[in-house]
Amino acid sequence: MIEIHDLSYKYPGSKVNALHDINVKLPPEHVFAILGHSGSGKTTLLNCIAQFLRPTIGKVTIDGQNIATIDKKTIHSIVGVVFQKLNLFPHLTVMKNMTLAPINALGIPEKQAQKSAMEMLEKLSIADLAQRYPLQISGGQAQRVAIARALMLQPRYMLLDEPTSALDSQTTSDFAEWLTELQEETCFIIVTHDLPFAQQVASHGIFLQDGVMKTEGNIQEIIDQQTASV
Amino acid sequence: MFIMCYKKWTIYFLFFLSLTTSFTEKIYAQDRQPSMRVALTGKYPPFSYYDKDGELAGFDVDISREIGKYLNRDVEIIAAEWDGILAGLLANKYDAIIGSMAITPERAKAVNFSLPYYQSGAQLFVHRDNPSKIYGINECNDKKIAAVLGETYQRYLDEKYPNIDVVTLKSSVEIFELLEAKRIQGFVSDRLVGSWQIKSADRPFVPVGPMLYAEDIAIPVRKQDKKLLEQINNALMQMRSDGTMQKIHDKYFGLSSKTADIGSQMSQSVIIKKLAKGFIVTLSIAFASLLIGFVLAIPCGLILNQSTGKWKLLYWPVRTIIDFLRGTPVLIQLLFAWMGLGLSPYVAAIGTLGINSMAYMAEVIRSGLMSVDPGQTRAGRALNLSKVQIFRFVVWPQAFRVAIPSIMNSIVALTKDTALVAVISVAEVIREAQAIISVTFEPSKYYFIVAVMFFVITFPLMKMAGVLEKKIRQKGFVQ
Repeated sequence: MIEIHDLSYKYPGSKVNALHDINVKLPPEHVFAILGHSGSGKTTLLNCIAQFLRPTIGKVTIDGQNIATIDKKTIHSIVGVVFQKLNLFPHLTVMKNMTLAPINALGIPEKQAQKSAMEMLEKLSIADLAQRYPLQISGGQAQRVAIARALMLQPRYMLLDEPTSALDSQTTSDFAEWLTELQEETCFIIVTHDLPFAQQVASHGIFLQDGVMKTEGNIQEIIDQQTASV
Repeated sequence: MFIMCYKKWTIYFLFFLSLTTSFTEKIYAQDRQPSMRVALTGKYPPFSYYDKDGELAGFDVDISREIGKYLNRDVEIIAAEWDGILAGLLANKYDAIIGSMAITPERAKAVNFSLPYYQSGAQLFVHRDNPSKIYGINECNDKKIAAVLGETYQRYLDEKYPNIDVVTLKSSVEIFELLEAKRIQGFVSDRLVGSWQIKSADRPFVPVGPMLYAEDIAIPVRKQDKKLLEQINNALMQMRSDGTMQKIHDKYFGLSSKTADIGSQMSQSVIIKKLAKGFIVTLSIAFASLLIGFVLAIPCGLILNQSTGKWKLLYWPVRTIIDFLRGTPVLIQLLFAWMGLGLSPYVAAIGTLGINSMAYMAEVIRSGLMSVDPGQTRAGRALNLSKVQIFRFVVWPQAFRVAIPSIMNSIVALTKDTALVAVISVAEVIREAQAIISVTFEPSKYYFIVAVMFFVITFPLMKMAGVLEKKIRQKGFVQ
């Protein structure tokens, strides 16, 4: 379980906290949503969990262990990240995007890495994309490839930053279905401002406003509250 | 794929480096032989020129060889540019100049002159048709009269006849061509040189007016080489008394002289051999410089991309060096490396062109690195890759692809820049062409051939740069 304790974050040179005193437990058995409007601190929180930012105050723990004490070389085998911009490597094929980290970071032999990448692609119904380059596939396909690439390290948690920002409504809906099928093996933490999408995929979540956690709990309740306040 | 290409190219580069190194060492080893090193231009017939076999020959060459015999030393003859010939002597590039140098008070301040080995004088020559009706130096006001840059005639004309439009050129051969084409009205040169052109090369020139002044031609050596000066003087005196000097003089200027093989054409095979040899030198210098430049450009480009962070201490020194190299003429850098640092011509050429191309390529690599989205590095980190792995597999391949077209352009520029190293007496293709022109008198033909030789190399490179740029755009690396 990921737990966030008294976490505050202030960007260097800034006078105000981007995040203020966040306390939350992210249960491993659900798709968990971090909701909020633009600028509410959602991505900052994701970056603190993924160790791209170090909290100014407070800490993040995974199964009781402070995340800052976990070896940097292995942290992303525990917590995978898929960025809003996806950041697929444009010079490598989908297959090479997927096998780069297993071969070089985990030391898995190339053949074996290719075999498991192919299995992963087949499981995610995108095996036909293996030899394409990222710029040759659609936004929805790229989204799946980015998740598949992160899943190759078999992380226990997977952070997705605004996964639907570049998708149209039909693709978003397909993606939500696809994601629901995956949640049995990996715990997804989704940062999004897209409430209908969150409603479709997540069971629990938190709502951030101006760096402060406004509500926490069942996703339906959060959405009802937000709708009522508007 | 990229790694394979990378390895392949590394092997090619190493192969060329080994070729160039062995080639350079061979020449360098010859430079180091304990012989008397004598400089002349090789472009001043009949005193020095290239004969039909492509070897240096002429009055000054014969004098040098004879002096060597009297001194019991081997003579190594080095062809140098006239305008830098004294500086080369002072920089210890050779031991003496036996290149028809006149004694002047200014020169005598810097070097010691031997006894004169011949007397000659300045003479005005005009075209046989004499379209400007010039019959003496006093009728040359506002006329284009040529002299070789750095020769005493240039100074003389500038000082005594300020109203003459003095045109300065690098060698006599160029001046003869210009007068033959009537693009200048006349030239002032050594009377023997001009007369020889009329007699042996059948040039349409005539001397006009009396000799402007007489001058003593002697051999300069460095001030500190007193013993060498004494030996040369002794040799000259012996050569005069035993008739050797007269024999050499008669060979070139005697009434009955057949002038040996002067004026006869170089054979086609010698010309081809000379051009090919020169071109190999040109390409070897280009390849070696490119290798040095590229290898150095990668760390420099990386540092230039890090104006903040832990590398920032290195940033400003590297930035300054690169700005300096890009902001100063390559020619000055070459001359500085050769004369200022005292490097051998080949080391100076490869070193200067190498670090110069480094400066340009480092900028290209820096902009390539800057074009890679920082998100790519974060994605690498999110995938547990180490910093080195992120650079090697993610950032560098993208930066390099973006940089390739500009790197190709740098390669083209570098290849063309090798033409400059002729100035520091490297026997590359331009210098070989000049040597050929000094006996064939066909500058347009041979300069055109050399231009074509360069073009054959640079054109595919330019085309390749265009094709690669198109491919990269198609793949979406650059917008």
